Amino acid sequence: MIRVPSDRGDARDAAPILATAGIGLRFPHHGCVLEQRPDVAWFEVHPENYLGEGVAADILGAVCNHYPISLHATGLSLGSAEGVDAVHLAAIAALCERIEPGLVSDHLSWSAAAGVHAPDLLPLPYTDEALEVFARNVEQVQDALGRTILIENPSVYIGFAEATMSEGAFLARLVGLTGCGVLLDVNNVAVSAGNLGEAPARRLHGLLEALPADAIGEIHLAGHAVRELPGGGHIRIDDHGSRVSDGVWRLFETTVEHIGARPTLIEWDTGIPELAVLREEAAKAQLVLDRAIDPAWRQVVARAG
Amino acid sequence: MPALADLQRDVMRAILSGDAMSTDWLSAPGALPASAALQAHRDTALGGLTNSLRLTFPSIERLVGEVFFDQIVLAYVAIAPPRSADLCAYGRDFPSFLSNHAPAAALAYLADVARLDWAIARALGGPSEARRRDLSIDLDTVLSVPTALTVSRFDHPAAAIRAALDAGDDAALGNIDLEPRPRFVAVWRSVRLAVTRELAAPAGVFLTALLDGRGGDDALAAALAVAPPGAALAAIRSDIFEASFAQITISSRTTP
Repeated sequence: MIRVPSDRGDARDAAPILATAGIGLRFPHHGCVLEQRPDVAWFEVHPENYLGEGVAADILGAVCNHYPISLHATGLSLGSAEGVDAVHLAAIAALCERIEPGLVSDHLSWSAAAGVHAPDLLPLPYTDEALEVFARNVEQVQDALGRTILIENPSVYIGFAEATMSEGAFLARLVGLTGCGVLLDVNNVAVSAGNLGEAPARRLHGLLEALPADAIGEIHLAGHAVRELPGGGHIRIDDHGSRVSDGVWRLFETTVEHIGARPTLIEWDTGIPELAVLREEAAKAQLVLDRAIDPAWRQVVARAG
Repeated sequence: MPALADLQRDVMRAILSGDAMSTDWLSAPGALPASAALQAHRDTALGGLTNSLRLTFPSIERLVGEVFFDQIVLAYVAIAPPRSADLCAYGRDFPSFLSNHAPAAALAYLADVARLDWAIARALGGPSEARRRDLSIDLDTVLSVPTALTVSRFDHPAAAIRAALDAGDDAALGNIDLEPRPRFVAVWRSVRLAVTRELAAPAGVFLTALLDGRGGDDALAAALAVAPPGAALAAIRSDIFEASFAQITISSRTTP
């Protein structure tokens, strides 16, 4: 398992996140979570929504008294050639200090250029230059947070003709250079494969073969949309707006068979349903994790099969 | 392929402004057309910014409708893209943009309503009323108010419009007196809600002066400049000294 927290002098009393299925905490569920304290193993939040000292930060402070928290950043823009926004990084570091998350992560992407920020995860060409930039930025963030972080493979809509390495090779070299971990988003594997004309299983195997298993510290699951293009063909959009597809569940099972159980998140960001729906999805993920963890359960399944 | 910094600048321009860019280096075997990929990113980025501004300025969308709101946001993003990943802080100059946005010129009150939306959003993002700051009125008298308290002056009935919109009360909205005249609104945060309170003009200028760090004498002079003494003092007493957000403390100094 990835060294999270790491030997960088980590959050001292961070509630650990075990190899269980967690749920993304979103604003419509704040009241329900605070009042009913549902049985959820852990919650993930986007730190950009909880910075400062407003109502949202107060709510997160209350939630983290009862649940382990994973901070999943979307705005550090680790792939930006112009570097990391020091003000934003300081705000994230202050939040980490306050809530002591069990995991911290962001994406293999960029969002800022020429002093402008776009709320999207934009694709990086997998080149030596991009690797150098990314590694430098990851080091800066890890130094500021005093811990290692996980880097998530993104959903991509396009490849780069002059890329010199695969996504898996890029991530593996990044892990070697910085000591960071990897957040394997299985839905993103399916989305990227669909958009790049690859077989999802093959893309997943490419990542699993390239990455040291113990570098993978978390898994993400989500739904995605498939839209028709005006000129024909389809595009897969990583909208986190539906249940996990059957294909992604199969990729998840393959992943867990290869690397074992990991903290696994159900993400849902658009058209957010009742918390019960997310808990159903989490329970489904938990069954897969349990099979990997519990040898007795594996025997039961084997006998039943 | 250009250097990474140049590539990122070009992509950012293409996504936020819709500018054309060379996409030769974007193509890859089996991949989507570059235009479709860039459009997907443009849709995501603009959708995120629109949602962010919708959350910060809910009254504006209710007043102008979703389609016009989206058009306004598109125009705003083109000239004032976000400079930070903290989108809660995005939109500070959206009200002034609205006041100069020709297609919305017929709605003279729109910029004031946006300023009130912004004040409320900032209050919700600030500390609760438990966090206090002391405003010195004179050597013996201190007014304690919430740290996040702001007072805004509007020419249009922004608070009445927002209240009617929040209540979904179309009748009340239709009956609002839109005549321009000075209106003052205090905004602060209770535990989980932003609280707004309209202040009479003398109370508004008095409290504004105190928040600006001017002393009690200056603040009183400002209040007396907008109302006769009796009315000014009555407004200060009822709207500030007796208001729930303020606590006044008078200390007795020992004379030698």
